[in-house]
Amino acid sequence: MVSPRRRAVIEFVLDHLVWFILFAVVTLFSLTVPSYFQIGIFANIVEQSTFVATLAIGLSLLIIAGYMDLSVESVMALAAMVTGILFAKSGVGLGISFSPEWLVVPISLAIALAVGAVVGATNAYFVVRLKMNAFIVTLAAYIWGRGLVVALSSGRSAQELPAAMRVFAIERFLSIPLIAWVAIVATLVFAFILNKTPFGRHLLLVGGNPVAAYRAGIRVDRLTATTFILAGAIAGLAGWLLAIRTSGATANLGIGMLFQTFAAVVIGGVSLKGGVGSLTGVYAGVLLLASIQTAINLMGMPAHFTQLIQGGMVLVAVLLDTVKLSIRKKLA
Amino acid sequence: MKRLMVSLAGAAALAAATFLTPAYAADKGTIYYLVPTLLDEFQTGSVTAIEKFMGDVGYKTVTLNADNKTDVQQGQMNDVIALKPSAIVLAAVDFNALKPQIEAARAAGIPVMEFDRQITSTPSDLTSVAGTVEIGHVAATEIERLLKEKNGAVKGKVLQVLGDPGDPYTLDIQKGFEEKMKAFPDVTIVSKPAMQWEASNAGSIVSDQLLANPDIDLIFVHAAHLAVAATASLEAAGKKPGEVLLVSSNGAPVGLDLIRKGWEQVEVEQPLFAQAAALAMFADKVVNKQEIKPGTYDVLGLEGTVTIESWGPNIKLPGAAITKANVDDPKFWGNMKTPDTKVAPAP
Repeated sequence: MVSPRRRAVIEFVLDHLVWFILFAVVTLFSLTVPSYFQIGIFANIVEQSTFVATLAIGLSLLIIAGYMDLSVESVMALAAMVTGILFAKSGVGLGISFSPEWLVVPISLAIALAVGAVVGATNAYFVVRLKMNAFIVTLAAYIWGRGLVVALSSGRSAQELPAAMRVFAIERFLSIPLIAWVAIVATLVFAFILNKTPFGRHLLLVGGNPVAAYRAGIRVDRLTATTFILAGAIAGLAGWLLAIRTSGATANLGIGMLFQTFAAVVIGGVSLKGGVGSLTGVYAGVLLLASIQTAINLMGMPAHFTQLIQGGMVLVAVLLDTVKLSIRKKLA
Repeated sequence: MKRLMVSLAGAAALAAATFLTPAYAADKGTIYYLVPTLLDEFQTGSVTAIEKFMGDVGYKTVTLNADNKTDVQQGQMNDVIALKPSAIVLAAVDFNALKPQIEAARAAGIPVMEFDRQITSTPSDLTSVAGTVEIGHVAATEIERLLKEKNGAVKGKVLQVLGDPGDPYTLDIQKGFEEKMKAFPDVTIVSKPAMQWEASNAGSIVSDQLLANPDIDLIFVHAAHLAVAATASLEAAGKKPGEVLLVSSNGAPVGLDLIRKGWEQVEVEQPLFAQAAALAMFADKVVNKQEIKPGTYDVLGLEGTVTIESWGPNIKLPGAAITKANVDDPKFWGNMKTPDTKVAPAP
């Protein structure tokens, strides 16, 4: 028999396990990797987490709702390329400008969000209305999305975004660039939505048991469609941030980020079966991956080890998930 | 009957017109160009250049994109072999994996020319490459000059940002660069790869290294699109143009723009136009299975050197250093002006 106090401690540790692992890993690297322990490096880790963290929000929401979305990486690249083509001044950029110049910020952001939302709505139409498999629909969107990026850019780059946009990558608050703050705020906002609003609670219910949720009066189709559109728009936001970070877009921008995002989501404790997950945990998962990547950048370790370690971590995360489940069963 | 006669007359007129056009007179068949990917400007530029120069010498070019997938390119090779074209131009996704297809094509009597990516494990009919090791040498020479100008002697710290470590293009440049820099023991080189040639990876490396090694004098990146991300990181770190020197290779348009803005000092060009033109110059000899003689050849004003290697005739074209003084020269492919010069078949 476990005492209530001990049970509470165990449950707290299980709920926040990824944060404890993150703390342990950062401590280990701080002690062993030269130059690692400094504010600037930690700020870099947060900055480098920006795009995967943003993508992970939408992906997590959909996985929690019981669906897969493989398209987020291509949606991000598409939004980045559209932003680059419209507003960058070099390469294939059209260099559209406004007076006053700062207007480019809300307008470009709105366009990036809209690009993402349109792809999300397209996915939603096929999945919700036509009852097609989300995995296949979003896999197709992953492919045609990247194809559209190449077609729009003809494989060329768009470079040099206006200074008003670049400010988000250059200006810092508490040593962290504004683009990273955008990702942090977005994570907190959606964590609040997931945990404290009817929309979020319904999402968890639908992911856990869609039939029960439907019988309980939740409009499952509408909720699913909204989540797809939201995930697309959030991927559009990630693209906007990525374009700002690199001051434009190349046709291969963000390639491979889907897999990092999936890894972060799993490490962060989102169950691939749906119905379980926390966005702050996912953010910790993203930070964990970025911490390892940064340590590899600073060490003399061959870069191939990054993927090896990340793959291993995903396996460990899934294993831990099973262990956590069994501990919770015993506690119950 | 009347309608049939009119149709026949029309067809005859069309055929006569077709026969009388110079295009038909010059139509020597179709060449398939298997491009590895269309995700960067060098590859898209290579399509335009090869189609143009092959057209100059009378061949129609059909391009197939493998989207960086070896299995797709293997399938494309198999399909193209079945179509029996005049020749295949291959820029291989994977050097070893395409070997059986190259052998199958040649066994079927279809000549294979290698573009940009040298395959030495099996013979082919012509290989046209930039000297990637030599690009590393040119970069080293320029970096030697820049460090001397900055520090009074060839000393300091260089951050080398490679492309994907699985790509021999970047490994060759690294090899050439590092073997030449061995002569300067006071230069410390820190090398990091940007996985999958992805720009934001390069940006992250530069951000981290500016903190781990704040005394970096110069950054050498292996592609211009990585230089853009490096510049963004320099800007975010509060650096001004020229404060940290920047050298890149491949000569893409974005690199030339960075030179114009003062962020980058040197771009070592990969001579795309000359590499493509060299294939066209020797296309007739390759298609007709005539001997290609070793020696030097003028290819669009560059001196190409043909050697006969164990893997067949190999033409190597030198890269050139682009600086602020010559950045607007239209001969550089990064200025996106395909030469008007018509390529003529080699004698």
